[in-house]
Amino acid sequence: MSVTLERPVAAQPEEPPHRMGPVERLTSTDHKNVGILYCVTAFGFFLVGGALAGLMRVELAEPARQVVSTQAYNTMFTIHGTVMIFLFVAPFGIGLANYLIPLQIGAPDMAFPRLNLTSYWFFAGAGLLILLSGVASAGGGAAMGWYAYTPLSELRYSPGVGVDLWILGIVLVAISNVMGGVNILATVFLMRAPGMTMWRLPIFTWNMVVTAILGLVAFPPAVAAFALLFIDRRLGGHAFDPLGGGDPALYQHLFWFLGHPEVYILILPFFGIITEVIPVFSRKPLFGYLGLVLATMAIGALSMGVWAHHMFTTGVVSNPFFSAMSLLIAVPTGVKFFAWTGTMWKGKISFTVPMLFALGFLLNFLIGGVTGVMLASAPIDFHMNDSYFVVAHFHYTIMGGSVFAIFAGIFFWFPKMTGAMLRERLGRVVAVLLFVGFNLTFWPQFVLGLRGFPRRYVSYPPNIGFDTPNLVSTIGYAVMFSAVVVFLADVAVSLRRRVPAGDDPWGGNSLEWVTSSPPPEHNFDALPPIRSERPAFDLRHPELAP
Amino acid sequence: MRTAAWMMLALSAFGAISGTIYWFVTFEPAGTLLLWSFSLMPLIVAGYLVLHGAVRTRTLEDDPDARPDRAAGQELGTFPAASTWPVVLVLGSITVGASLVYGLLLLPVGLGVTALAVLGLMRESRS
Repeated sequence: MSVTLERPVAAQPEEPPHRMGPVERLTSTDHKNVGILYCVTAFGFFLVGGALAGLMRVELAEPARQVVSTQAYNTMFTIHGTVMIFLFVAPFGIGLANYLIPLQIGAPDMAFPRLNLTSYWFFAGAGLLILLSGVASAGGGAAMGWYAYTPLSELRYSPGVGVDLWILGIVLVAISNVMGGVNILATVFLMRAPGMTMWRLPIFTWNMVVTAILGLVAFPPAVAAFALLFIDRRLGGHAFDPLGGGDPALYQHLFWFLGHPEVYILILPFFGIITEVIPVFSRKPLFGYLGLVLATMAIGALSMGVWAHHMFTTGVVSNPFFSAMSLLIAVPTGVKFFAWTGTMWKGKISFTVPMLFALGFLLNFLIGGVTGVMLASAPIDFHMNDSYFVVAHFHYTIMGGSVFAIFAGIFFWFPKMTGAMLRERLGRVVAVLLFVGFNLTFWPQFVLGLRGFPRRYVSYPPNIGFDTPNLVSTIGYAVMFSAVVVFLADVAVSLRRRVPAGDDPWGGNSLEWVTSSPPPEHNFDALPPIRSERPAFDLRHPELAP
Repeated sequence: MRTAAWMMLALSAFGAISGTIYWFVTFEPAGTLLLWSFSLMPLIVAGYLVLHGAVRTRTLEDDPDARPDRAAGQELGTFPAASTWPVVLVLGSITVGASLVYGLLLLPVGLGVTALAVLGLMRESRS
């Protein structure tokens, strides 16, 4: 069934809120439903990826090999990386975008609702294939690492069908991302409410626009790489096979042309979340809106020109060019930090749970960013490449950055999505446990890297400086695990014994806080005049509105 | 749309210029082609926006003084409520992919399911 909509001043809310059955939940094209499907599914993948990380940490807690076989360990780090990157962090951002963008720009839905649902199902199908590639593959699961370097991923060294299923899964992820990117751009460019100029877009929406562009540009070359790899494996091709005249470095070029922008696909949405949270809980307007938007664009553009800093040690790329481009990204990222700090400066900060996670994000991401600057220097990278220093750096940006922002976003928008508040006290416990656990887990990995511990090793000799940091790291994982358990309990308790949230529990700035919680179908009872980048604030304080 | 069109054109120019600089610094073909290809996607979007009047006309969403009631009654488009065909489409696509791994016997099944889903989506879009 379809409905043709006219742009109304007011849409009628549903009373009481409609509860969806499972079939309706899985087939509804409403952007809010698709957004929630994305987020819940992605969080499920987070639990799977986290469980695999736990097994790896238990294995590494002591020097000798004790829990899993070497091949199983290889499969675990392959699936852990793939799941966390392609099935959790990035899709969670797309899920939030699906839920929030139409609300933030005053639109009734995404531009292409059926395409939106299709992109979700491609993502879910991809998840199924990627999990199967690890556990249910004749001849061996995918065990070549999340970037599937050739020739290791060629048939000669990885004969099982796991790699093939992994390739198919990643191609489905790419299709899903392209569909999502098209939808986001069309929605933001063509469906904004009157008065919502591009320079009044909420920062989260701006960040998703740049993220969508990155996905549209970066995924197609990667699909070409995976298609060629598949042809090499199953149809007798030699594109990347050096014994047949192929070039493994070409695979690295094509992969990292996706792989590095992917890092920004993994962080830009969450920069957006943090930029939404900080002004609300600092009780100040955002400092440097224009600078933040331009910095986001600069990060997006520069991120397309840094892929080969992952290839410094191959000797086939121009290290000075890629080193310079990589170091340049620190400038717009610094602008963002400056704007966040400037927003908090002399603000009336309230340390609610979303703000605690935002502060945790700032500290963790700062460490991740600074170590990234170190690794952008080719001489340092030659020493640190493929060591635990890189693992720690990456997790400080993605886990300490993006995942902390995801939790900030969940605590911030959960009341809007469900109409119920999450428990503040339990949320504080989650924030503290996660921050302590995260730093206990990953700070020792910097030490391990500096001492020369290589990544992807299943065991290590005792008494050469690796024992204690590995043990501390595993204890840190246990603390993080307890944080996730408390979080799930918080969600369960809050949904069962609901504390009504009201339409705007935080005093928010953007348009989603103007409508009811949860919003009605087609989103708005009425739209206020949009005169700045914070129309909800202007509506509450007409005396201060421009 | 004007801002969006300019943003896309600027991104396209960035890709073209950085690709050209990269070529003269490295003479490395793969990276040069990748950077030049990066300039194409924003150019396509910018071209669409320009062809549809993004630079010539000013829409209500680009008017900083426009009020929501000025758009009252304006048709926004047709919004489907629910669809089962996306699931069928993905199942068909997975079966096609699996046929390349497990055997071509699955290929007709996968193609059939995919075609059915595409037809279903097309019929649904006209209802």
